[in-house]
Amino acid sequence: MKVYRMVFLIGAASLGGCVTANVDEMTFDAPVAGMVDGSIVILGRRHAPDYDTEPDFIDCIGDQIRRGDERITVIPEPQFVDSLYPWFEPRTAPLSVENVGRLMILPSVANKLSELNLDYMIWIDGRTQDTNSSGSMTCGVGPTGAGCFGFGTWGTESEYEATIWNFNDGAEVGKMSALTSGQSYMPAVVVPIPIIAPVQDTACESLGTQLLQYLSAES
Amino acid sequence: MVERLLGSMTLGLSAKRLAALFILLFVVACTSREVVVEGAFPTPLIDPVPVSVGILFTQEFREHELIDDATGRGEVSWRVSTGSAQVDFWSTLFPAFFQNVVFINSYEDLETYDVDAVLIPEVSEVQYAIPLYTSVKVYEIWMRYQLSLVEPEQIMDADNKTINLENMQAFAEWPLTAYGKTPTAFMQSDVDAVNLAAVMALRDAGANFITSFARVPGVMDWIENPEVAQ
Repeated sequence: MKVYRMVFLIGAASLGGCVTANVDEMTFDAPVAGMVDGSIVILGRRHAPDYDTEPDFIDCIGDQIRRGDERITVIPEPQFVDSLYPWFEPRTAPLSVENVGRLMILPSVANKLSELNLDYMIWIDGRTQDTNSSGSMTCGVGPTGAGCFGFGTWGTESEYEATIWNFNDGAEVGKMSALTSGQSYMPAVVVPIPIIAPVQDTACESLGTQLLQYLSAES
Repeated sequence: MVERLLGSMTLGLSAKRLAALFILLFVVACTSREVVVEGAFPTPLIDPVPVSVGILFTQEFREHELIDDATGRGEVSWRVSTGSAQVDFWSTLFPAFFQNVVFINSYEDLETYDVDAVLIPEVSEVQYAIPLYTSVKVYEIWMRYQLSLVEPEQIMDADNKTINLENMQAFAEWPLTAYGKTPTAFMQSDVDAVNLAAVMALRDAGANFITSFARVPGVMDWIENPEVAQ
């Protein structure tokens, strides 16, 4: 009995909800030999009234690029934003590459950016949100134990756009986007078993892979 | 309610008292939230303004807190103490923004240090919004400050050897607004989310101060000729 239960749990845990991904790209002027010793920073847009691009999504993209090509230095977002405070706050962050040129007029900002040896600044705008949910579940506690019975399902959608600015040329060199969606399920017969669709992880992997291909000639 | 609940139980007197204490603590914990705003604030990357400024944090500023008592069923009382974080934040920003900064704590400080002007920040209003009230999935904090630049003599009460702000005539006075938000998806608890929104609002206040200071009427003339305040 214990073996069956174990097999059932492992089987359920290995299941994931289905995810569909749609990736779009428009880039030019990719580094021909790949980046060698420069650095990049990936920043989330935070000026929309009802959402912020998630910091953990920005970390995920950075890790994806770092793992893919160890020669690329990815400056962590909080470190970059703090070291250039207050010029990359939601109120002051440049919305176009031309505005970065205006920032460079300030000697302290120009010196700091030169010290960071920054080649590319990548802005990510978007979010992940649950779209719909249905089903019902009842849980109870009795003298002989506790348990749940029922079924729940919900949809999740991620939509992110990456904009790449070449810092040396002072130009926008591309846009990439990832749109992923999936359905998660939670059947419960005594124990609820979540079958989660990795929607945000898929968006991170798709966008990270695209960025890596752009920045690294080896990929 | 607590009495009725305890009446239905078969307990000794001391056990009843203990149970009452637990129930009251539970009720209070469920209906009030207290946040002492805490955060790490970066030093701004700016080229300092070439003036010497005394900074005066008033007692109200140092101890500022927002208190919002619950008025309806299902509402939660909030106490958000921003004073300590205000002092931490502005104590980091001002010394980087002005070439010379002295923190004024007493009349003797005003006599001792030769400053071009004294800057007095005050918090005029703090508002907050949480998803429970707005149905938008973000926690928000708004802050409004009133800043004054005065000549040191304006606030020196020589007769009583004290600092007196009652009849001061500021040569520059301006309001400063700030906003910070945290999406619900980022946070595990209301308290953490309100704290982070307050930290974001403070950072925004600093960004607004730095980018708007030179546009304040009277300020540019003073920077060009700091010995003679307008």
